[in-house]
Amino acid sequence: MNSDQAASGAKRSGGRSSSLAVRLRDRRALAEFVLDNLVWLMLAVVLIVFSSTIPHFFQIGIFANIVEQSTFVGVMAIGLAIVIIAGNMDLSVESVAALTAMVTGILFCARGIGLGVTLTPEWLVIPASLALALVVGGLVGAINGFLVVRLNMNAFIVTLAGYIWVRGLVVAISGGRSAQDLAPSLRFMGIQTVAHVPLIAWLAIACFVIFTFVMAKTPFGRHVTMIGGNPVATFRAGIKVDRLVLITFVVAGAVAGLAGWLLAIRTSGATANLGTGMLFNAFAAVVIGGVSLKGGIGRLPGVYAGVLLLSSIHTAINLMGLPAHYTQMILGALVLAAVLLDTVKLRIRQKFV
Amino acid sequence: MKRLLSSVIAALAILAAVAVAPAWAESKGKIYYMVPTLLDEFQTESVAAIEKFLKDVGYEPVTLNADNKTDLQQSQMNDVINLKPKAIVLAAVDFNALQPSIEKARAAGIPVMIFDRQITETQSDFTSVAGTVEIGYVAAGEIQRLLKEKNGSVKGKVLQVLGDPADPYTLDIQQGFEERMKEFPDVKIISLPAMQWEASNAGTIVADQMLANPDIDLIFVHAAHLAVAAVASLEAKGKKPGDVLLVSSNGAPVGLDLIRRGWEQVEVEQPLYAQAAAIGMFADKVVNKEEIKPGKYNVLGLESELTIESWGPNLKIPGAAITKENVDDSRFWGNLKAPAEPIKPVE
Repeated sequence: MNSDQAASGAKRSGGRSSSLAVRLRDRRALAEFVLDNLVWLMLAVVLIVFSSTIPHFFQIGIFANIVEQSTFVGVMAIGLAIVIIAGNMDLSVESVAALTAMVTGILFCARGIGLGVTLTPEWLVIPASLALALVVGGLVGAINGFLVVRLNMNAFIVTLAGYIWVRGLVVAISGGRSAQDLAPSLRFMGIQTVAHVPLIAWLAIACFVIFTFVMAKTPFGRHVTMIGGNPVATFRAGIKVDRLVLITFVVAGAVAGLAGWLLAIRTSGATANLGTGMLFNAFAAVVIGGVSLKGGIGRLPGVYAGVLLLSSIHTAINLMGLPAHYTQMILGALVLAAVLLDTVKLRIRQKFV
Repeated sequence: MKRLLSSVIAALAILAAVAVAPAWAESKGKIYYMVPTLLDEFQTESVAAIEKFLKDVGYEPVTLNADNKTDLQQSQMNDVINLKPKAIVLAAVDFNALQPSIEKARAAGIPVMIFDRQITETQSDFTSVAGTVEIGYVAAGEIQRLLKEKNGSVKGKVLQVLGDPADPYTLDIQQGFEERMKEFPDVKIISLPAMQWEASNAGTIVADQMLANPDIDLIFVHAAHLAVAAVASLEAKGKKPGDVLLVSSNGAPVGLDLIRRGWEQVEVEQPLYAQAAAIGMFADKVVNKEEIKPGKYNVLGLESELTIESWGPNLKIPGAAITKENVDDSRFWGNLKAPAEPIKPVE
């Protein structure tokens, strides 16, 4: 073999290895993409199966319903996911939503225990009630955060206590009674649709978009994820861990407050048991959406897909007329499957990616 | 200084004792009311009503809320038995699970009165109920009438939104309703439960079903607060009052408001005030273990029938159908005007 032949052989083998590397990189990227978006794939499969097997499922109205039904649990799940990504827990979000729904109901409903407060011009009711809901929710979140960060109390216990005392507060301020007939300007948000989807659902989608950006593209989001992964290392890197953890609780509270405000709009008022059971759906959505309960891992679009998946199942069960117990059984199985999938994903990543 | 402080405390204690003494002297003793939950308006108002009527006849009422938890109500029963009250009024979270607690209380010599949620598998000293199955009967009668008015005969499609499927209360109403609707094969009934009696769950069911079955003639929800969410969903789908007929049960204030606004046609009332008044009227007989005679009794103007059943004396008070014509009648608890006149014990 002369030197020219050797050079061209080396060139060929170099070309082969570089194209192999490209193929490997592409495969890895594809695997990463599939693993990261598995829940969307599941959602697509579920929707196709339901559409082809359940009568009346395949129609725009039903898909709009699914999006609308995802509003409350979805918004609640945003705050919950952020706290979990930061390595903590917030069990109080459901009760916080009930509290802000009740506050909105008491102030701006005209019947039941509603005081029928009016503002001039009428549209002012929207920002005023929204601000109030965010403040009330944020306050509860701040109390939780203070107890966890400053007094070093366990987040699970603190927020479990919050779950109980805040619901108690709802019963206390309402006296167990309900408020109804919400101010028309607020009801407008629940009735008016854009592209078949009610405004409140668009608001939830906007929340997901904003918080996805915040978590993925801002220092706040990156630092929160770092804290969840390794708080000590994050602290040593000069990041104010305590302050950020406190902020995550405030955000979770405020966002839960927003969920309650939306809930009041949807149901045109509030009852003392409003939102009961939503915490578990929110948790399920967060887990199904790929957020690790150990913290440090998770993306909000996955959480939204998780919420949509759950709403699709609820809707399918409604349409099939199956007993509601099936929803709970399927929900439980889905959460287990999601956790199992998470473990499998981790192994696949370690092996191939 | 210490002596002065002690004297002041002693004086205050004596004053307090003197102030409280007349109440003690008047009271015939404590009666505990075990309320299943305070998360719905019927139960909340039942506390006010039972406390009022028990006070009318000289007892000191104490209410304990079980927060819809069977185990909590069981332990509350155990605690109360140790306190040896004059009687216990029980509205059970779970009809079956509370049986041993009732038996334990009665074995300890404490009479047990059953309020609203009938327990037939064990002996009790007095039962005051509207009859949940009967509420289903009344609803069925009204729904037959409404369908006939709308469609010319009893035919059409009915969406029945139950409460939590684990709650026997809603299952009883369903049983009564479906039993009476059986003879009308042209009525198609779609039944779905709103988990945990949560309003937005009911709203979701209505929203989905109005798309899957746009020809639904009538929606029957098992509680008025669910009707509010149902109306919100109908409104969001562009429906106007009367487009889809609506019937609800329990007679809560929100249901009466929906009738006034034209969204709801009938609310089947649970006669809460009469049920609570009966507890007060028969309290002396129960506490003193006197014989309770069967027959007709007038309870707050309602002709009620007392029968001696295998589980004990059972007073059944008829539920009423509330419509636009009689919605403002003050005897309906949904108007929240508890009778001011004190009740008298049954002789």
